[in-house]
Amino acid sequence: MVAEILIRSLGAFFAVISFGLLLELPKKYLLHAGCVGGCGWLVYLVVEFCAFSEPLAAFLSSLVVACMSHIFARKLKAPVMVFLVAGILPSVPGASIYRSVYYMIRDLSSLSNHYLVQTLQIAGAIAMAVFFIDSLFRLGQDRGKRS
Amino acid sequence: MEKAKLLVETAALAGEIMLVSGAEIYRVETTIQHILGLAEGWQGENIVLGTGIYLSLDDPEGETITLVRRVADRSTNLNRVYLANDISRQLCAGTITVEDAYQQLLQIQKTSIYRPAVKYLGYMGICMFFAVLFGGSLADGAAAMLIGFGLAVVMRLAKKIRFNDFCAEVVAAFFIGIAALSLKSTILPQINRDTVITSAIMPLVPGVTFTTAIRDTLNGDYSAGVTRMLEAVVTALAVAAGVGASMVLFQMLAGGEQLW
Repeated sequence: MVAEILIRSLGAFFAVISFGLLLELPKKYLLHAGCVGGCGWLVYLVVEFCAFSEPLAAFLSSLVVACMSHIFARKLKAPVMVFLVAGILPSVPGASIYRSVYYMIRDLSSLSNHYLVQTLQIAGAIAMAVFFIDSLFRLGQDRGKRS
Repeated sequence: MEKAKLLVETAALAGEIMLVSGAEIYRVETTIQHILGLAEGWQGENIVLGTGIYLSLDDPEGETITLVRRVADRSTNLNRVYLANDISRQLCAGTITVEDAYQQLLQIQKTSIYRPAVKYLGYMGICMFFAVLFGGSLADGAAAMLIGFGLAVVMRLAKKIRFNDFCAEVVAAFFIGIAALSLKSTILPQINRDTVITSAIMPLVPGVTFTTAIRDTLNGDYSAGVTRMLEAVVTALAVAAGVGASMVLFQMLAGGEQLW
């Protein structure tokens, strides 16, 4: 179990780096972004394994991802977006959207609705987490200064 | 007056680069505001929407310079956001002149750090590693990587013949569905169809747009938030429609036999 979680997190690390190539992420930040994504997914898997709740997992992992992105952004003087955008991708509910449509096509509307609601829940959880950290890091910062 | 004009041009250019590259609205607005703030005694103001920039600079004697930029062809480019942000920082700190900043910004518009070959690797890497991330087997990863390569070719062709985004995504998702189902029913029967398809559609799924849309909305930039949210929904629909169509077609070709 532990080995599987580690392998999957490593997968997330490389997946985020690959995404960085498509999004033209500056070379010197590729590894940082990969770490953000890998750690985020590690948290996701652990929470999902312990609590069996995907929205909760998405929320907590996004908290970690957003927090790390802000710290890296401060330290390395780069926009938060550079780390956040790629790092958040593993938890974005691509799979649930796909399943929702898939069951819609198979005419199983109750399953389709289930996954649609799950998509919205996960999306909402990510949004809340990102916004929460954004606001936290903006506290005590004068309006003019860029984070 | 000449100098102020150049300053406005520079601010607009920096804003345009950041907006086109997918930066959050509030960041674009503050960047423009900072650059306009360099004209002391002048009153600068700007509004940034998802599809355009308006800015004006009032001089104390009552003359106004106004500039409107319509923005099209948006695609996420983190490098350009980073560089434009960096240049505006340097400009505001006084380490470079307005002329230099303008020239450098013009350069940024054309830069691209990764060659097309690396982008292919990116597509393959995303598909393969997302299969790993979703807990797929080795065969799943290999199948997703193959499909990822095909996907990169399809996307490149679509760009070459100037397909619009929606159609390109539908076609690409259709290709993914067909490729995954064909692989499963021919040479790789042991792959998990769900894992392979969900990993392969990852490069198309509007995760980035979606995240930015949320941040814009919660920052109070509602119009841009809605614009981007709609963009994300439309993209998701395109992907879903493409994959769905491929499944229906495959089922029909297989003579009504249930494939799933």
